[in-house]
Amino acid sequence: MLLKELTEAFGPTGFEDEVRGIVRRELDAMGLSVRTDVLGNVIASAGAHRPGLRVMLDAHMDEVGLMVTHIGEGRDEGGLLRFRPLGGVDPRVLVSKPVVVGERRIPGVIGAKPVHLQEASEREKPIPMEKLYIDIGARDAEDARRHVKPGDPVVFATKYEELPHRMAKAKSFDDRVGCYILLEALRRWKGDLAVFAAFTVQEEIGLRGAHAAAYQIEPDIAIALEGTVAHDVVDTPSHGQSTVVGKGPAITVQDAQTVANRRFAEFLWETAKARNIPVQWRRVKGGSNDFGAIHRIGKGVLGGAISVPVRYIHAPTQVVSLDDVMHAVDLVVAVLDEIAKGGFRP
Amino acid sequence: MPKYLSVFKQLLEAHGGPGFEEDVRNLILPHLSEYAAQIWTDPLGNLVGLVPGVGEGRRPRVLVSAHIDEIALVVTRIEAGGFLRLAQAGGFDPRTLVGQEVLVHTQSGRIFGVIGAKPPHLTPPSERFKAAKLEDLYVDLALPEEEVRSRVRIGDRVTIHRAPLDLLNGRIAGKSVDNRASAAVLLEALALLKGMVHSADLYAVFTVQEEVGLRGARTASFGLAPDIAIAVDVTFGAFPGQAPDESFPLEGGVAISFGPNLHRRVFKRLVDCAEKYGIPYQIELSQRPVGADANAFQISGPGLAAALIGPPIRYMHTSVETVAYDDIWQCARLLAHYVAEVDAAQVEELTCY
Amino acid sequence: MKDWLMRLMDFVAPSGSEAPVVQALLDDVREAADETWVDALGNGMARKRGHGPLLLLAAHVDEPGVMVIDIDPRGYLRLVSVGEVHARECVGRQVRFINGATGLVHADPAKQGDLDFDALVVDVGARSREDAERIAPIGTAGAVEVPVVTWGQSLVTGRALDNRLGCAVAAEVFRKLAASGRNVCVAFTAQNAVGARAAQAAAFQLEPRYALVMDGASADDMWHDHPAIGLGKGPVLKVMDRATVVPLEGKRAVEDAALRLNLPLQYEVSREAWSDTGAIQLARAGCVAVALGYPVRRAGAFAMTADLSDAERLVDLAVATAEAWLG
Repeated sequence: MLLKELTEAFGPTGFEDEVRGIVRRELDAMGLSVRTDVLGNVIASAGAHRPGLRVMLDAHMDEVGLMVTHIGEGRDEGGLLRFRPLGGVDPRVLVSKPVVVGERRIPGVIGAKPVHLQEASEREKPIPMEKLYIDIGARDAEDARRHVKPGDPVVFATKYEELPHRMAKAKSFDDRVGCYILLEALRRWKGDLAVFAAFTVQEEIGLRGAHAAAYQIEPDIAIALEGTVAHDVVDTPSHGQSTVVGKGPAITVQDAQTVANRRFAEFLWETAKARNIPVQWRRVKGGSNDFGAIHRIGKGVLGGAISVPVRYIHAPTQVVSLDDVMHAVDLVVAVLDEIAKGGFRP
Repeated sequence: MPKYLSVFKQLLEAHGGPGFEEDVRNLILPHLSEYAAQIWTDPLGNLVGLVPGVGEGRRPRVLVSAHIDEIALVVTRIEAGGFLRLAQAGGFDPRTLVGQEVLVHTQSGRIFGVIGAKPPHLTPPSERFKAAKLEDLYVDLALPEEEVRSRVRIGDRVTIHRAPLDLLNGRIAGKSVDNRASAAVLLEALALLKGMVHSADLYAVFTVQEEVGLRGARTASFGLAPDIAIAVDVTFGAFPGQAPDESFPLEGGVAISFGPNLHRRVFKRLVDCAEKYGIPYQIELSQRPVGADANAFQISGPGLAAALIGPPIRYMHTSVETVAYDDIWQCARLLAHYVAEVDAAQVEELTCY
Repeated sequence: MKDWLMRLMDFVAPSGSEAPVVQALLDDVREAADETWVDALGNGMARKRGHGPLLLLAAHVDEPGVMVIDIDPRGYLRLVSVGEVHARECVGRQVRFINGATGLVHADPAKQGDLDFDALVVDVGARSREDAERIAPIGTAGAVEVPVVTWGQSLVTGRALDNRLGCAVAAEVFRKLAASGRNVCVAFTAQNAVGARAAQAAAFQLEPRYALVMDGASADDMWHDHPAIGLGKGPVLKVMDRATVVPLEGKRAVEDAALRLNLPLQYEVSREAWSDTGAIQLARAGCVAVALGYPVRRAGAFAMTADLSDAERLVDLAVATAEAWLG
């Protein structure tokens, strides 16, 4: 199953190779024109030379992860791995999680000093990243060096599983869910329009792949497909939730990098409503997606984002509604149809 | 053999903060002229020298950069008595500014000043344990207020007044080692490259305004559109209390950076090149976009293959930045050998993932 | 200039909602231009072809504001800021939304200390969520209302003075340079208050050799005997802000022009401003961009005072600088 394969793939920011492999395989199977750029973005196109609007659809391939920075020496630290974050990882979610390290996919766990041995004052604070180690079971530094090296990337070792009521859990729904939606939409959509699909790298450290991809594509309209924050949980009032899982894809009015083009946001909304696709506003300003970079490239680009609500985004286990995912595919296809029909003029 | 040691020391004595790199540029110009077929300055002030490669057809384009601006200060207000208040143009730790000699660069020339320090006799215990804030510091020009007001204007630049100092073992301390050390790397590399055959067109770029946001690097790389862009910039020398991955011994050789921001194939070629020519090196890991020109290079226009190398220095962003000239020399050797080996096939492979 | 300025100030145009004021400004310069257009990000542009290198005049049209981000079941709105706005500046004030709706801002009395936007609700007189969704739907932007007052001949106080005054100046400079046959364009830029997001696209399209950016400069004459910048003391050369450092050749050109005109010149170094100038300077392979200003006494994001005599002298300074550049 493609969503399972995508979310379980190893692809921390800057090391997206495994995801890139899956994406290219799928695009090749569709017979699209595919290339990889110097940053590692995969760019596919359909009808690239058609006159009229150029539409860019974007999903980022990378996920947040860690990087091994030092192999510990000595009696206590020997063979334990120090690490730093690759992208925005909250140190509070790290302790006692399984991970996978490096090209050889060595399993490890993130450990800390037992609670029994912590001072009362220590227990009241989150454990800082400097006091956490990845333990791959190595006996000492020399042993560890046989399996890993500083610079090796690390991701959470979470398995994809479907839950009752069309829910699913996995790591990296942000943004493999976007990659999935983009692939499925490309598979389904047939029409007369220059469409460019950018599967980008390094979103999590500053929307970097999207900068270069948008410059190459020169789109008139761009839509980022994202997994976005949902916090529709206990103790959270409506204005703190951002989005609600199961209520359909979300549309942005403002985030940290973008003030939405109101006309385009309403076009997305009306397109969904006209086809009975559930849709919701993203009700928070924090966070951002690749469109934040794309819209400022070159002569400026019109567009927005379609996001799937994800609970516990950036944490090892994230939760989505598969109905939201399918509705997002429906919405992307509908939006392309409408643009091809001339339903939105920039 | 190194030949730019004395030029390096001259560079350390030149004054040029972000946006006023003229003097540094003028110092480099005659040396660059010895190697470059064409030289020009772009609208931001980046100094570019083109050293053409040999061969027919499309030659690989390699950009190497060293930023020539230094961290500086700017006058924000003239207070009663003629004392000057300051803002950052770069990133000084205000605690290192207390008691420093400075030069204020005015329309009518340089004026000597000192950043005032309150004597301990007058400092209550409550203040002694507090870090100095830039807002509380001031420059004393020891001139009458009227003279200050007639000569100094808001926006005038302030730089550290410090002659370079020879320490033991070819180690040199001074201001603006960050990043004039890398300007010396470029000059040494150009000299070495003169005796080599290279197919790449080399653009040696002395960039401006790095310390305020990698600005020169942005326009230079967009304008030149190279295939590969290598920033040369200093990194953290080993010192007690620093994390092992942020601490590179002096005379430990070239720090070659690895991370998402840097093209992995260029990184690999640099490491292979160092191995091949017996050039000492150390690997610096980055998890985020680096704080150097390479950051801007990577996402310039359609994107390009960026790399970052540099010598380690101690006491970064102070007036006693310390470097070992041997590290500068090793950086130059690596840069020259790498550039000499770049060929069309290596450019081709940059999009092979 | 005063009546026109007051008309411009009446537009509520937070970042992203600039279309009506952009149209008004383009209408104002259309006669002097070969062509006018609005780009994908909402920048309004006018161009007059002429001799010599291309000069871009730029002034941002947007202002900081607030935006409806959620509506509660009882029909009260929740806000976020657009740009740099403190929640406390909104408490007890009326917000005028871009669709004409008006709301009154309440702060949760249980919240202590420095307020954030989570502590605010806006009453728009709605009886239900559905009612509120009709009046001010999610995504609607607005600004705190500040009535315009004039003091004497040249002092104006009110909302959005910064940078509608700069727009009026840029338009005037554009007309003068166009009339003398120069190669000139003007960009009324969008989305400055959220971090100068649109100006680079304008410069990218136009590829100018030179740029002059008009914006407010913060006066401090309320607090200092020897102010760095005071109202009525002439135009301001913006030496540095978070996005730009003035190029030396640009600085010299402005100083020479001021000397020729016998105009007093003030200087600004700003630690806070994130100007369009840097974005324009760094478009493509770069251009020579200089920011000029008029002094503004700011009382927060929404209320401010300027002296029109400074703006009039700024017009002269900008024209003289441009003429020196363009030959």
